Amino acid sequence: MAYEPVLTAFVNEPQGYTLDFYLQRQRGYEGLRKALTLKPGDIIEQVKASGLRGRGGAGFPTGLKWQFVLKDTPKPKYICCNADESEPGTFKDHVLMERNPHLLIEGCAIASYAIGARVAYIYIRGEFYHVQEVLEAEIEKAYTAGYLGKNILGSGFDCDVFVHRGAGAYEAGEETALIESLEGKRAQPRIKPPFPAVAGLYQCPTAVNNVETLCNVPLIVLNGPEWFAGQGPEKNGGPKLFCVSGHVKKPGVYEASMHTTLRELIDDHAGGMIDERPLKAVIPGGSSVPLLLPDQLDIAVSFDSVQKAGSLLGSAGVIVMNDTVCMVWLAMNLLHFYRHESCGKCTPCREGTDWLFKLLGRIEAGEGQPKDLDLLFGVSSNIVGKTLCAFGDAAATPVLSTMKLFRHEYESHVREGRCTLPAPWRATMPVFAGSH
Amino acid sequence: MDTVTLTIDGRPVTVAKGKTVLQAAIEAGISVPYYCYHPGISIDGSCRVCVVKIEKMPKLQTSCSTVCTDGMVVLTRDPDVVDARAGVFEFLLINHPLDCPVCDKGGECPLQDFSYTFGPAESRMDFPRRVFDGEGVRADVDFGPTLMLNRNRCILCTRCVRFMKEIDGDAQIGIVDRGYGSEIATFQEQGVHSLMSGNLMDVCPVGAILTKDYRFKSRPWDNPGVVDTVCTLCSKGCNTSAWLKGKPEWARGSRLIRMTPRFNPEVNGYWMCDIGRFNYHWTESDRRLRRPLLRSPSTRSGQAAALEPVAWQDLQPRLRNRLQDAAAAGPVRFLVSAHAATEELFVLKQVTEALIGSDGLKSVTVAWTRSEKPQPEQTTFTVPVTDAPNVNGARDLGYDVGTGNDGTPDLRELRQAVDAGRVKALYVIDPGPDGSLGDVAWIASARRSGALPLLVVQGVLMTDLAGAADLVLPGAAYVEKDAIYTNDQGRVQAASRAIAPPGEALEDWRILVNLGRSLGVALPYETASDVRQAIAGAMPGTGYAEADRLVFTRPIPARNWLQASNPSERWKWDFLFQDLPPVKGHSVQMEGLPPQGAYIPLKPVEP
Ligand SMILES: Cc1cc2nc3c(=O)[nH]c(=O)nc-3n(C[C@H](O)[C@H](O)[C@H](O)COP(=O)(O)O)c2cc1C
Ligand code: SF4
Ligand code: SF4
Ligand code: FES
Repeated sequence: MAYEPVLTAFVNEPQGYTLDFYLQRQRGYEGLRKALTLKPGDIIEQVKASGLRGRGGAGFPTGLKWQFVLKDTPKPKYICCNADESEPGTFKDHVLMERNPHLLIEGCAIASYAIGARVAYIYIRGEFYHVQEVLEAEIEKAYTAGYLGKNILGSGFDCDVFVHRGAGAYEAGEETALIESLEGKRAQPRIKPPFPAVAGLYQCPTAVNNVETLCNVPLIVLNGPEWFAGQGPEKNGGPKLFCVSGHVKKPGVYEASMHTTLRELIDDHAGGMIDERPLKAVIPGGSSVPLLLPDQLDIAVSFDSVQKAGSLLGSAGVIVMNDTVCMVWLAMNLLHFYRHESCGKCTPCREGTDWLFKLLGRIEAGEGQPKDLDLLFGVSSNIVGKTLCAFGDAAATPVLSTMKLFRHEYESHVREGRCTLPAPWRATMPVFAGSH
Repeated sequence: MDTVTLTIDGRPVTVAKGKTVLQAAIEAGISVPYYCYHPGISIDGSCRVCVVKIEKMPKLQTSCSTVCTDGMVVLTRDPDVVDARAGVFEFLLINHPLDCPVCDKGGECPLQDFSYTFGPAESRMDFPRRVFDGEGVRADVDFGPTLMLNRNRCILCTRCVRFMKEIDGDAQIGIVDRGYGSEIATFQEQGVHSLMSGNLMDVCPVGAILTKDYRFKSRPWDNPGVVDTVCTLCSKGCNTSAWLKGKPEWARGSRLIRMTPRFNPEVNGYWMCDIGRFNYHWTESDRRLRRPLLRSPSTRSGQAAALEPVAWQDLQPRLRNRLQDAAAAGPVRFLVSAHAATEELFVLKQVTEALIGSDGLKSVTVAWTRSEKPQPEQTTFTVPVTDAPNVNGARDLGYDVGTGNDGTPDLRELRQAVDAGRVKALYVIDPGPDGSLGDVAWIASARRSGALPLLVVQGVLMTDLAGAADLVLPGAAYVEKDAIYTNDQGRVQAASRAIAPPGEALEDWRILVNLGRSLGVALPYETASDVRQAIAGAMPGTGYAEADRLVFTRPIPARNWLQASNPSERWKWDFLFQDLPPVKGHSVQMEGLPPQGAYIPLKPVEP
C-alpha cells in the first residue's frame, strides 16, 4: 500500500499555505473544533494512545510529556514550540511552517488546550525570516477567523500564539536554552531538574515541543489515535518527515511511514546516489548521531530500529555520503560547527570542542602525530556524559563514531601526512574562516 | 528540623532536608571540588567539577545541583568519578595561563588547590593558549574604579555574573560571545561600578577579578594572621575578618592588609560593602595622632601657641585642672561621635555624672552622619544610611539620640550655646574616620574666636577640629581595640582588636578612665573586659547582659581562621598553608596584652 502524505500533501500547491485552502482541502481546524468538545485530559490520553513521539530529536512520548506538566498550580502554563531547527542536515520544520502554517497553529491551540495553557510561543530560528513572515500573517488570519484569541469557536477557551525569533544559535534549540532565550537571556541551558514541565518559561509549567510533533496533534484528534498508530511500526506510529541530503540525486524533505527502510529512502525517494558512486556512510538523524554503514541500509527508519542499529533517528536528518568523503574531514567539518555553536556554559563542551577541532585540523592537514589519535579519543570521552546539556554528547559523536568505524583513515592521515583519498574527486571543504 | 540521611563514601551523613549532595559533603568534611557553586548565590551546575556517582542514577551527577534524599548512596572516590573529574580539571587548565607566581590569588586559589588534589598530573594540551588582552599581568585590564580583570585566568564559573545579578541587583557583568570565545565583560567595557564590587574578588575562584586595593600588595603566606572582627563604618555592623601582613622582622608588628566579609546569616550573609572593605587606610594615615598634644594657654606675644607633644603624665593633671576650672565657671559640654564604642560611652557616662552631677548625660550630644548610598533597586544587600556603628548603643545607655538610628542628630542647641559663649569647655570624642561628626567647623571657629574658652579633642586623626584644640588625646581606631557596638538591628557585636594603636595612643575607654580617676571618680576598671562586666551588670535582661561573655579573637593563623570562618569554603583550605613553617613570632606580636595604665611606651621604629 503506497503511503499517502498528510503533513506535506499540499506543500507544492501555490496556495497551499492559505487559510482557505487549509479549511477546504485539509479539514482545517476540525481537529480543534473536536478537541474543544473533549476534556483536556482526554486529549492527553489520545495523544498517549497514539504513541506520538517527539520529532525534535529525543523521541520522547509527547502524551507523557504533557501529562508531566504540573496540574495543580496557580501559575500560568505555556506551550513552547521549538522551531529553532538548526541541527545540520535537518530542514523539515521550516517546510511545515512555510507551506502548511495552519496545521502548526491548530496544533499549538490544541496542545495549549490539553495542558491548560493560554499562550503558545513559537520560537523560530533567527535565519527563518521569510518563514516568520508567512507564519505571522497566517496567525493573523487565524485570529480574524476566530481560531485564536478569545473564546475560540464559542468554547470559552482563550489562546494566543506568538512568534519569537531567535538570534541564530543552534543551542537555542535545546529546550531549556530556548526558554532562557525566550525570557530574553542568553540561550544557555538550565540545569535539570527541575524540568520545564515543572518550572519552565518564567518558572511556570511548560511543554516544549517540536514543530512536526505539534503538527501531528490535529491529525490524531481528527483521525483518532488508532489511525495514527497504524501509520507505522509499533511505538513508531504516524507520518514522519525525513530530510535527505548529501550525495543523492534528489535531496529534499520526504514524508513516509517509519516502516520505510533507509535504502528505500535513499534509492526510491531521493533518487539514488549521484553519479552512481558507492555509498560510504549515512548519518540518519542529524549531525549529532553516529554513522551507519552500507550494510545497514535495510533497517527501517524508525526510532527503535535505528537505535538498534547503533545510531539514533534524532531529527531525521539523513545525510548520505559517497566514497569521496574523507571521514577526518567530515569530523573536522562538524566540529567546526560544534565548536562555533557551543554555548560555553559548561567546561567540557566549551574547552573540549575547541581542542577537538584543533586536533582534527592538525590531523586533516597532515600534521598529526600518532598520539593525537588517542588524544582525540580521550578528549571526546571526557566530554561525553559530562556536560550540562546533550550538546556535549552531540559534539563528541562525530569524532567517536568516525574513529570507531574509520580509524584507518585517521591512521593513514597521520602516517602519510595527507589525506589518502584520491585528490581529484575528494570532497573539499566549504569556505570557512579558521575560527569565528 | 527535617533531616535526611545518606551515605557518602560509605559514611552516613545526616543533613537538613533540601541540602544538596555537595553541601552535605562539605558539612561532613568530605572533599568534593567546586567552582560555580557558591553558598550565597544561585546554583548553576556549569563547571562540572563537582561530579559524583549516585547509585541508581545512570550518569554521573553534579553534586551541587542534586538534592539529598534519604538512603541515597553517593561515591566521590569511584574510579569513574576520579577520571571524569580529572578530565574536567584538564579542560579548565588547558587555557589557563598558570601565571600563579604573579597572580594575587596564588596560595589561596581554589583552582590551584583543587587541581593539585583532583586534576591530572600533566596536561596533554600542546596548542597555544587562548589569550584575551595580553600575556601575564599585562592582561590585567581596568574593570571599574575598584577592580582589575584578567580574562586569561577566568574559568567562566559565572559566580561574578550571578553575584551582580542576584546580590548587587544590577547585572553589570555578563558574558560576551559564546563557546570557546566566551569572555567576562561589562557593557562597553565600562567596568563594575558598585558599592559591592569588592565581593567580586572574594567570589572569583581564580585571580581573574582583583581589587586595586589589594593587588600586588601581599601574598597569602605573608598574611599569616587574621582577626575576626566587625566593621564599624555604618550601622549594619558587617562581620569581617581583618587580614594582617607581617611587617619586616626589624620593624616588628603587623599592618592591616585587607578586610573581607565573614559569614553571618543574620547580619551580612557572605558580603560586605566597599566602604567597609576599602575605607580602612585612614587608620594608618600620616595624620594619625600618636602622642598627646598640648597648647600652652597663651604666649607672651599674645599669639596662639602651637600644639606641642606632651607626656600622658604631664597632660593628665592639666586636663583635670582646666576641666575643673571650666566647670566652676559654667557648663562643660561633651560631643561624642556615635563611632564611640559602648565601653567608652559607659565610662563617659560615669565621668560626666562625677563632673556635672546625676543629669550629667544631659551635657552630652551624640553626633553622626547620614549619607544615601546609591544602590540598585533590586539589591539584596542594603547599605544603611547611618554612617555610625553605635547610635543604638548610645540610646541603650540613656544618651539622647533624638529619633535614633534612623534619624538625624541635632546639634543646634549645642551650637547656639557654644556660639553664645555659654559653654566653658567642650570635650569631643571622635574615634574617626574624619568627618564622622558632620560639620563641626563652627566649633573650631568658636574656639579661635574665644567664644569657646576650652576645647579638648580625644580622637585619632589630626582633623581641623583637633588642630584647634587646647588638648589633644590620641585614642584608638576601630581596628585597634576590643569593643562592643550595637548595630541597627539592636544586636550587640564584638569588634576585635587587630592591630595596636600607634605610638602612645591609648584605647579610648582607658583615656576616659584615667580622666575620671584624676577627677576623683572611683572607676574600678583595669581592662576593657572589666568595663563590659560592669555594662552586663548594669543592664541585666538586655542584649548587654552577655556583654562580658562576647568572644574577642586574637590574630590566629590564617589556616585556622579559614577553617573556622566560611563554612562553604572551609575544607578546601585544609590544603592551604599546611607545608608552611609555623607562623613567625613578629606577626602575632600584639597577642600580648595591651599596655596597662598610663605610661609611655617606647616609640616603635617606623617601617
Ligand atoms: C543542542 C540541542 C539542540 C536542539 N535543537 C533542537 C531544534 O532545533 N529543534 C527541536 O525541535 N529540538 C531541538 N532539540 C531538542 C529539544 O531539546 C527538545 O528535546 C525538543 O524540542 C522536544 O520536542 P519534542 O518532544 O517534540 O521532540 C535540541 C536539543 C539539543 C540538546
Ligand atoms: S554542553 Fe555545550 S552547549 Fe550544552 S551547556 Fe555545556 S557548553 Fe553549553
Ligand atoms: S571572572 Fe572569576 S568569578 Fe567571574 S566567571 Fe571568571 S572565574 Fe568566575
Ligand atoms: S560546582 Fe557543581 S557544576 Fe560547578
